[in-house]
Amino acid sequence: MTKNPRYQMKPLFEQRMQTLLPEKKDFDNFSKIIHQGPENFIRCNTIKISPEKLLEKLESKWQVKQPFPKFPEILLVTSDLKPGELGNALEHLLGYYYIQEISSMMSVLALDPQPDEFVLDICASPGSKTTQAAAKMQNKGTIIANDLKLDRIKILSTNLERCGVTNTITTRNDAISLCSSLKKSNFRKFDRILLDAPCSGEGTLRSSPKTLLMWNQKVIKKLSRQQKKFIAFAFKCLKEGGTLVYSTCTHAPEENEEVVSFALENFPVKIETLSLPLKCREGISQWKEKKFHKDVEKTCRIYPQDNNSEGFFVSKFKLVEEIA
Amino acid sequence: MNYKFIKSSEKRKILAGLEEQYGITDLPYLLIETGKKRLRAFSGSLSKEEISDLAQLTNIELIGMYLISRKDNDLRLNFDAISLLRNQITKNIVGINKDQFELWIRGHDLEIETQRGIVIISFENELVGIGKSNAEKIFNYLPKERRIKTALPADSQFRTNKTHEDL
Repeated sequence: MTKNPRYQMKPLFEQRMQTLLPEKKDFDNFSKIIHQGPENFIRCNTIKISPEKLLEKLESKWQVKQPFPKFPEILLVTSDLKPGELGNALEHLLGYYYIQEISSMMSVLALDPQPDEFVLDICASPGSKTTQAAAKMQNKGTIIANDLKLDRIKILSTNLERCGVTNTITTRNDAISLCSSLKKSNFRKFDRILLDAPCSGEGTLRSSPKTLLMWNQKVIKKLSRQQKKFIAFAFKCLKEGGTLVYSTCTHAPEENEEVVSFALENFPVKIETLSLPLKCREGISQWKEKKFHKDVEKTCRIYPQDNNSEGFFVSKFKLVEEIA
Repeated sequence: MNYKFIKSSEKRKILAGLEEQYGITDLPYLLIETGKKRLRAFSGSLSKEEISDLAQLTNIELIGMYLISRKDNDLRLNFDAISLLRNQITKNIVGINKDQFELWIRGHDLEIETQRGIVIISFENELVGIGKSNAEKIFNYLPKERRIKTALPADSQFRTNKTHEDL
């Protein structure tokens, strides 16, 4: 595939990625794959149809694989597709599947929400992870799906409706004020919280190559500060023994290990080892002069060249003691 | 968000209407009425009291899923509710062929003679939307954002140089 010169890595971004991927071959593989479009993963919406029935329908028009036997809902369409073909298929319009990149499915697999639990999705739009969680919960329990802006809420609600999600209450609040007011009023605490934080998007280069143009280190620092605030407030509305998954679609350590390290140093939490169906690399222990908490190695870095996916970061916390 | 919980006596009436129109006999949801006579379905575990408390604390935009709108004497199922409740829908179903489906999914009305009133459109064992018939024509209620935007297939008998609006 020819490279588009407008979308080359900025020198500072390239330098940072070389630090993260010190082996030349590894970095070269990364540099190559980010210029290739992503694979066509879809997730069967088990609220409406079983993976077997969906597979039967889709196999009449496309070649479809089930690459992970433990997760039959994850499907990979290997046929050459016309632009928009997945989104225009009848099965998509009927909400039988959700077009979702494989790495982005990892947050909910890590969260592992159960039917009848009370779950908060703090930054929920566009709804890929909320619909995945609702399906895992068999439309039972309750999900509070929150986002900040009305236009994002509209996209979220369209996706929730298309997927037949009925166990969700959609709220429009700033993440901090949401957690803060729930905490102050002693509202029921959450069993599980997903904080898929707004991030610099370095992991989405294959589907959004323009991210390379917009990349800016100042933004990373600003986002890192915001992410720390979000996670600090999120822990306050989690019940003792509850689970919080923090994820981003970026490689920037300031937005990943630095946030996790901040959480480990300031809150009564422990980090859990993840078992995901993609190749994970351990979190890094140091970035520039900053040394992180030793347990950040239990976090999961997903690189596109390891899995033929987008890039992602996932971590999972357990709250040891409720925060008063 | 303005909302009102539907009482069980009213829910029974709604269910009776849904049974008469569509054959639906089970609605295992808390029903909530919002603006424009829209009913939403919530299957979550929060009680009415907890939902009310939550509404005091946060800015609730939506609860559950848009299920039905009440218009005149009709209970009109939302497009997405049709596929959620498809196993229960047995009445007022009109089957269409491939050519008609290609028009329907692009938002066109269909020249089909059938009974007056709200009808559910079926194609190859899938329920693909809802429309209103005046006995000679079925008016398409497929939401605009859910219509396919591509041109009609090359082999469609309806394919012409006319625009969609001309058809």
